[in-house]
Amino acid sequence: MEKEELSSLQLDALREVGNIGAGHAATALSGLLNRPVDMAVPEARLVPIFDLAELYGAAESLICAVLIRAEGDFSCNLVFMMEEDKSQELADLLVGSFCCDDEEMLYQLRDSALSEVGNIVLGAFVNSLSAFTGFSLPVSVPAIAHDMLGALLDVVVAIYGISGDMALMVQTSLSVKGLDGELSGQILMVPDPGKLPILLGKLGVL
Amino acid sequence: MKPQAVHVGMAELAALRHPALLVTLGLGSCIGLVLYDEGSRIAGLVHIMLPDSRQSKSETKPGKFADTALPALLDELSKLGATRSRLKAKMAGGAQMFNLPGSGQGLLAVGNRNIEATTALLAKLKIPLVASDTGGNKGRSIEFSTDNWVLTVKTLGKGVQML
Repeated sequence: MEKEELSSLQLDALREVGNIGAGHAATALSGLLNRPVDMAVPEARLVPIFDLAELYGAAESLICAVLIRAEGDFSCNLVFMMEEDKSQELADLLVGSFCCDDEEMLYQLRDSALSEVGNIVLGAFVNSLSAFTGFSLPVSVPAIAHDMLGALLDVVVAIYGISGDMALMVQTSLSVKGLDGELSGQILMVPDPGKLPILLGKLGVL
Repeated sequence: MKPQAVHVGMAELAALRHPALLVTLGLGSCIGLVLYDEGSRIAGLVHIMLPDSRQSKSETKPGKFADTALPALLDELSKLGATRSRLKAKMAGGAQMFNLPGSGQGLLAVGNRNIEATTALLAKLKIPLVASDTGGNKGRSIEFSTDNWVLTVKTLGKGVQML
């Protein structure tokens, strides 16, 4: 981001991007799980990069995160993250009935199912962004990580840090009734340095 | 008496006299760099985010970039009375948390560039790097105690290492 400030009109437009993207992501997740999925009102705001991680929780809390990269007209990284124990409940929902003696294989199967959830959710988000803007946005395969929140968000903070000390937080959360309470996950859209004006221009709010 | 832990957040730095316990939680691509002088019993920790301040356009915290973090930390250490020629370094961090195919060069590989930049700066300043645990794809929490000058590194699934 070149600018350390965005107008409320620009933030509204970005919130709408989050809204449409998350709507599609929720529909896709609902189809995959065959359960209703709710979405929270999306947020778009600027926060100091040094405070970003703690807005999501304690630095050492365990998180499962899936990242995909969109290249093309508007390059960005997209992250879908959920609490580690919630991600394991989600894996139970998807492949819990699958029995196997080989623990390593079972672990890989669960991880692969979670990667696919991230892929479907973030893919739906990107597709709607592409349809909405006319941008061509080919995406990478998903990368999954299970680790401490602070460590996982370091790279997001570093990407924003290249061009300034503020981060644009476009985030939405999805929740689904799980086996045990509610499962919720968050979507973050992280434009590459210098690329945000391309999106704002296309949205007519540059 | 056990000293209270001083938490060093992103782009921050702290230099303290013995007894001190310096802590950083949840390092991913960032680097936790410790410089210490056992003779004067002084240690400092800086939490580096990015390799090079020349890419930055605005004023910011000196701890953010490797090339501004080292001089700033040296400054704080010498203010406390540390002797430059006795300083040693230990560091941890610089992981690549998300491994996409072909992402070894791009934005996601900032951890590697942080390691390279910090190591090169230490060599240039002739500060010996006596121990390090860097790279890989797991996050780390670290603490450094002036009781034994040991850097303790906790990694998920890998346990605790004493460096």
